[in-house]
Amino acid sequence: MKIFNRVKEKLKRIIPIKLGSLKTKKNKTFAAKPGASLPKDIPGFQETIAVNTKFSHPENTRPRSSMPQDLPSRYDQDRMILQVRDPRWLHTYWELRDQTIEGLKVKLGDDFYRAKKILRVYDVTNIIFNGFNANSFFDIQYNDFANSWYIDTAGPGRSWCVDLGLMLTDGRFITILRSNVVATPLDGPSWITDEEWMIPEDIFARLYGMGFGLGRSSPVGRAWQERMKQGLFSSGISSSPVRKEVKERSFWMKVDCELIVYGATQPDAKVTVQGQPINLRPDGTFTLRYYLPDSKQVIPVKAISADKLEERVITPIVTRETR
Amino acid sequence: MRHPEHENFLEEDWLYEAITETYVPLISVFEGLVSDGIDFRITMTLSPTLISMLSDSLLQERYLKHINKLIELSQKEMERTRWQDSFRRLAEMYFNRFSHARDTFQKYSCNLVLAFKKFQDLGKVEIITCGATHGFFPLMDVCRDSVRAQVKVAADHYEGVFGRRPRGIWLPECGFCPGHDEILREAQIRYFFTDSHGLLHGTPRPKYGVFAPVYCKGTGVAAFGRDLESSKQVWSSIEGYPGDYNYREFYRDIGFDLEFDYIKPYIHPDGVRINTGIKYYRITGTGNNKEPYVSEWARDRASEHAGNFMFNRQKQANYLNDLMGKPPIIVSPYDAELFGHWWYEGPMWLDFLFRKVACDQNEIRMITPSEYLEENPRNQVITPSLSSWGYKGYSEMWLQGTNDWIYRHLHVASERMSELARSYAGAQGLLRRALNQALRELLLAQSSDWAFILGTGTHTSYAVRRTKDHLLRFNRIYEDIKSNNINENWLSDIEYKDNLFPNIDYQVHQ
Repeated sequence: MKIFNRVKEKLKRIIPIKLGSLKTKKNKTFAAKPGASLPKDIPGFQETIAVNTKFSHPENTRPRSSMPQDLPSRYDQDRMILQVRDPRWLHTYWELRDQTIEGLKVKLGDDFYRAKKILRVYDVTNIIFNGFNANSFFDIQYNDFANSWYIDTAGPGRSWCVDLGLMLTDGRFITILRSNVVATPLDGPSWITDEEWMIPEDIFARLYGMGFGLGRSSPVGRAWQERMKQGLFSSGISSSPVRKEVKERSFWMKVDCELIVYGATQPDAKVTVQGQPINLRPDGTFTLRYYLPDSKQVIPVKAISADKLEERVITPIVTRETR
Repeated sequence: MRHPEHENFLEEDWLYEAITETYVPLISVFEGLVSDGIDFRITMTLSPTLISMLSDSLLQERYLKHINKLIELSQKEMERTRWQDSFRRLAEMYFNRFSHARDTFQKYSCNLVLAFKKFQDLGKVEIITCGATHGFFPLMDVCRDSVRAQVKVAADHYEGVFGRRPRGIWLPECGFCPGHDEILREAQIRYFFTDSHGLLHGTPRPKYGVFAPVYCKGTGVAAFGRDLESSKQVWSSIEGYPGDYNYREFYRDIGFDLEFDYIKPYIHPDGVRINTGIKYYRITGTGNNKEPYVSEWARDRASEHAGNFMFNRQKQANYLNDLMGKPPIIVSPYDAELFGHWWYEGPMWLDFLFRKVACDQNEIRMITPSEYLEENPRNQVITPSLSSWGYKGYSEMWLQGTNDWIYRHLHVASERMSELARSYAGAQGLLRRALNQALRELLLAQSSDWAFILGTGTHTSYAVRRTKDHLLRFNRIYEDIKSNNINENWLSDIEYKDNLFPNIDYQVHQ
């Protein structure tokens, strides 16, 4: 608890604005007191697991010729998973079985329909969460069609757990699903230093800025934001660290010229073009293709018979002039 | 990632480009350094999938076909550009380069892994591993069995290829989540890397910032932090070396520039223009007007830039040495494909850098992480922070509106895999094959490339299909196993399609 208070103090100093805004937004009730009608924190959960393992894989009798084209939209499970996106944001997704919902309807009657659908986000930093001992929590109302949610915790360096539940009209909160616990990373240097590896604040500040490639005198508080601005993250697999050609205007045109010189002679003749020997196709034909720059090209094509007794020269002359 | 059923596939194109433009040039640099007696060190990740692709005889055959076509194209280009001297010389450069790539490829029996192994055995190159299929570990944290499988399969695969355990790992996308160091320790991996903030935001404060490794609390696995100053010099699209106007322009490729009928045999068979690798222009300037590339000028710049990089590291190391009271280590990781593929002169720059560091100064030296740890066994103990080197530094690239739907399927599949591994320990015969294939399909579905592609919004249908195909195959195997109804023909078919990690053992997933 001592450590926790130190953490809180530091937090207050580091993010006074954020913490302030948290307070106004969040319900400050500390120990969450669920209604007396709840026998466990997750009603029906144990039973659900037993049912799942027993009955979710009946003898398979469907024809095996074709593969389904799409993934199942659900896996017949009650579950809620929480993951960290970054120091501030969490992502949760969940699945509720129809029978779980039906059970709640039976149990709650009309209250079910009047209840609000709530995600309750608990700060469980430095505690072993038992459902009642969260440091604090806040609620998010979600809509009927959602099965996932991004949660802004505004709380780097904290641990979190989320309940999906119902807020009844009388103010009771009923937990239906509980997520795993995750920890958001810090978004700045730790305030905890290590006695054995002490370092003066000013030297750490310099090393910190240098680690982000910001030279030797960048203020610690801004270094991470600066680093984010620079980008310099992995280029990944389909983009390049090399700048792409800029299209100066959207409309454009390109024109270029190539010249094809082709002909035929006896298949066993020796042929040169501009003095360079070329290969003939088996039938004695040939095709040559040249980039044609603005210029005059004199192209003597010479064929010598296999017995070297006969010779022919044909010389096309081509001029390209681009205006 | 192979597709035996089709000749042309995205990843195969990437592989061929990487061989010609990055791996062969790097191997040539290493060969030159060794034959000139230049001492050097470099740490390289060869991911298990890359090793599998490089060792796959089907892909080797196809690469030979591919490079032969490029050689043919470069020959045609030498003829076509006869009246344009500056282009004609470049066509010849590509002809020589492609021919050299083929010779090098064949010299190592068409398996370039053997080349890298050779330089590792010589003590110059340290090869580290990666996640088995490049799963993004922070988003697998709710099912650590899968993280363990990613690490264990990779480390075992590495050992099979290189004859010893990998000493280090490049966590996919540099994605570290506290606690995963325990899994690395189980696999006898001694070190990994984090982005700068992984160390700088660790707890307690790292005394030396990113300029000394730390040991993870509780496991003793070492973490090295990335230095951004050196990254920036090479990598930044604005101030980085690759943007120099004398360097080759990446975006002007004859696959896009030349007349359609002429280039058709060398692009995608359905007529979609793609990069061939033959590019004639230098960056020239900020506008669209591009001038022909001049090799000598680019070479001079690469040499200057290597000198500049070394000078800056000397300065940085001296300054840090005073500040820290001990020699710093500066860790500069880059995508391998930056060298040669994106930055054509990259391998040449590395070559100059190795030579200058070895011959022109004695203030800094190159070192591998394991050598550093042997020389400096005493390091601070901290818990590094959750971090990645992806967009914004955490998990957002792989967890956003366009790709977050995959996790509910992936996580269930992970749980099911653990259930299978638990329920069917020591399986034999057909059941064992099915269980092993289930793990292969799960690993393939976990590749972070799919989420990444969905996140970028290009080629998304391909990524959707790959994710679904592997998960559907996994689900079917799972159901077949549970209902004791394994269809051997179907299993054989997908074993042939998704054949990586032939010696995989499903029991690592627990």
